[in-house]
Amino acid sequence: MVTIENYECSYENKWCPGCGNFSILASMKDSFVRLDIPPEKLLIISGIGQAAKTPHFLKCNLFHSLHGRALAIATGAKMANHDLTIVVNSGDGDCYGEGGNHFMNAIRRNVDLTLLVHNNKVYGLTAGQASPTSDMGMVTKVQRHGVVMEPFNSLAVALSLGIGFVARGFSGNEAQLSKLIQAGMKFKGFVLIDILQPCVSFNQINTFGWYKKRVYDLQEEGYTPDDFQKAISLSFQWGDRIPTGIIYRKESPSFTEKIGMVKDGPLVDRKYDHGKLQELLSSL
Amino acid sequence: MAVDITVKIGGEAGQGIQTVGDLLTLVCHKAGLYVMAINDFESRIRGGKSFFQIRISDKPVYAPHHRVNLLVALNQRTYDSYKDELVPGGISMMDVKGEPEENQLPVPINDLAVKAGKKITANTVAAGACLGLLGAPFELFESILKDRFEGKGGDALEMNLSAARLGYDSVKDAKFPWSFTWQFGDPKGSVLNGSKAIALGALAGDCRVAAFYPMSPATGIMVNLSSLSDDFPLFVEQAEDEIAAINMVIGASFAGVRAMTSTSGGGFCLMTEGLGLAGMTETPIVVVNAQRPGPATGLPTRTAQGDLMFVINASQDEFLRFVFAPGTPSEAFEMTERAFHLADKYQVPAIVLTDQTLNDSLYITERPLSAPREIERYVVGDDQIDSPSEYRRYAITSSGISPRALPCSGKALVLVSGNEHSEDGHISEAITDRMNMVDKRNAKTPAMLEEMRPPERYHAESELLLVGWGSSKGPIRESVDRLREDGISAGCVHIADIWPFRADLVQKALSSCKSFFVVEQNSTAQLGRLIREQTGLVAEGSVLKYDGRPFFPDEIVRGIKAYLD
Repeated sequence: MVTIENYECSYENKWCPGCGNFSILASMKDSFVRLDIPPEKLLIISGIGQAAKTPHFLKCNLFHSLHGRALAIATGAKMANHDLTIVVNSGDGDCYGEGGNHFMNAIRRNVDLTLLVHNNKVYGLTAGQASPTSDMGMVTKVQRHGVVMEPFNSLAVALSLGIGFVARGFSGNEAQLSKLIQAGMKFKGFVLIDILQPCVSFNQINTFGWYKKRVYDLQEEGYTPDDFQKAISLSFQWGDRIPTGIIYRKESPSFTEKIGMVKDGPLVDRKYDHGKLQELLSSL
Repeated sequence: MAVDITVKIGGEAGQGIQTVGDLLTLVCHKAGLYVMAINDFESRIRGGKSFFQIRISDKPVYAPHHRVNLLVALNQRTYDSYKDELVPGGISMMDVKGEPEENQLPVPINDLAVKAGKKITANTVAAGACLGLLGAPFELFESILKDRFEGKGGDALEMNLSAARLGYDSVKDAKFPWSFTWQFGDPKGSVLNGSKAIALGALAGDCRVAAFYPMSPATGIMVNLSSLSDDFPLFVEQAEDEIAAINMVIGASFAGVRAMTSTSGGGFCLMTEGLGLAGMTETPIVVVNAQRPGPATGLPTRTAQGDLMFVINASQDEFLRFVFAPGTPSEAFEMTERAFHLADKYQVPAIVLTDQTLNDSLYITERPLSAPREIERYVVGDDQIDSPSEYRRYAITSSGISPRALPCSGKALVLVSGNEHSEDGHISEAITDRMNMVDKRNAKTPAMLEEMRPPERYHAESELLLVGWGSSKGPIRESVDRLREDGISAGCVHIADIWPFRADLVQKALSSCKSFFVVEQNSTAQLGRLIREQTGLVAEGSVLKYDGRPFFPDEIVRGIKAYLD
């Protein structure tokens, strides 16, 4: 039986007090315990940013890598060992900015992993520049006359690329977020959970109160996430009402299944066959 | 009579020059001859101007020759472009409209192809005529065609045999001054290009994952690997870009398999970030950089040695790496295998530095290719860790090498970070951690240096030494032979194990000569600068070529003689 104590870690936390990341971390731990996954069977891969520090603050195997590259590293790890349980912690800048191409292609491959994007709509680690998801008009020290780019709609992009599981969470609703992570980790294939999260230091627009007034839970309203057209339409809903919960779910063969890797067991466990190779070399 | 003949087959891309060249190469190899063939083409799939140039000899050859005995011109443009390369008495075999020039041998290649059944057999007609001129027995060609077309279905074999015969017979009355008697015994070794040698070397290094983004002249490596991936525990993935490719390789290696990527300079630029991650996280990876000329796009299908300083220094700050620059496919096979082994052993990136000449040219490889009996993996399991629950990925050791466990393979938690970190793998900005980790990573230097093999020496006691690296090995050796024939006391030194740099061994190799010259395919003598930096020794001069074409021994001889005159 895995308990929450198994996940406790003495490493000093480095987030600002009141950061939405604390709730996301709590929901993650809760999910892993409920799914009975011990820390030694969990691999968390992250990029760079405040979100990417997450795996340091709980017990697990971790690869804290480069800005934007977590999904490429996770894809490679899956090629070597498709039995790995992989969670990726990323942020809006990390995943949708620097790592945009990897984001698109990991979805297209349908790599079997759970991607948590801590979306605070601002660059926290570099102290407050606009991010790919910042609202138009948001003023920062750099974007002094306001952001002029349309925000990146990750849910719509993911749907258009054929994603099998896409959800939106809110760091202000830990119970719901835990359920989403659990559902995502049980799902076979690529899972995107975009998590709305206030940044207490740098985002004075999308605050906790701002979200609290707007978010609603799709599943509480009886929505079943099996209609692609409805999902597309929900992915564009923003403003007075912001949908959270599972937006779309449809299972299909995962990357490692499609490439037939699953049938012979993980590459990491396969044996080197000197005889067969030498036969090939000698036949040239 | 000694055989040393160069045949140049030229035409448009898409005309099947490669097919004629491959057929000639296979026939010569089967006859027990030596060949060395270069591939020259433009960055286009159809049209333009390209050629396949094969040197045929009864002695080992590892360099192309700059003069042509037989030009097979599949169009007029080829004749116009290359007729001046013909040696006196050399001929150009081609379809001729009107009165032939003195050096033209008219063969109605296309008409004969149509007569054989289809215009597409023109390549076989041309190959047949070539072999006829060279005096090859037709049966030899017949057997190669059978190997190639038997079981292809339809009338492919029959049509090609007929085309071959028509071509062969069409020249039976022609005089070719270098026709010879074909009796050389059994085939010598195997025909290999660098791309295939590297792919095989990767298998011998137990490569399990290869990720890449297509880029000339490196793509051939992955095409070869891919063709092997159904029969071996190997997966080849085309990534969305070079950045993804190297990070996939890092992820795969972290998860426990040996992994590689291959690219050319521009792609390597994109990979330098990942190279640094491999250095910082001490994750073993192998990267092949097949050089081509130019920053930016440069000359995509041409050859160069301009990335030496770049790969040694690539990525910010300082970290250890291996760099190998093989001179032949045989060395490329062995060095790729060693790169995997050493990367794993020292938990560092290893770079194999090749170029278009080595990757795309055909060589006879006589040394048997042998795979290691067993693969030594430098990883530990829970049973080899005193207290798995307290495992620290970056534990300080005297060798600098920390026991490497794999994630999710036991109780030990594996924490890896591209940020500077403490022994347990957590991020750390503490001064002691930064100092300890830099020192720990650098502590591998002495042992890594010990792994580096001495430069290969040829007539090493000579007064004058030519020093090179990578694919210019063959041309340099041959130029040494020619300088010696002219009474010049010349030898050469080939540095293939480049980094970490064995200053002591290079110094020793150069200590007894009166002067040395570097021979390189870049414009600033990068190896010369490196030798000076590492040993204080200064080259007397250099022979540099940076036009994107392979070195010919003749150019080196002339370059050296210009200094001596």
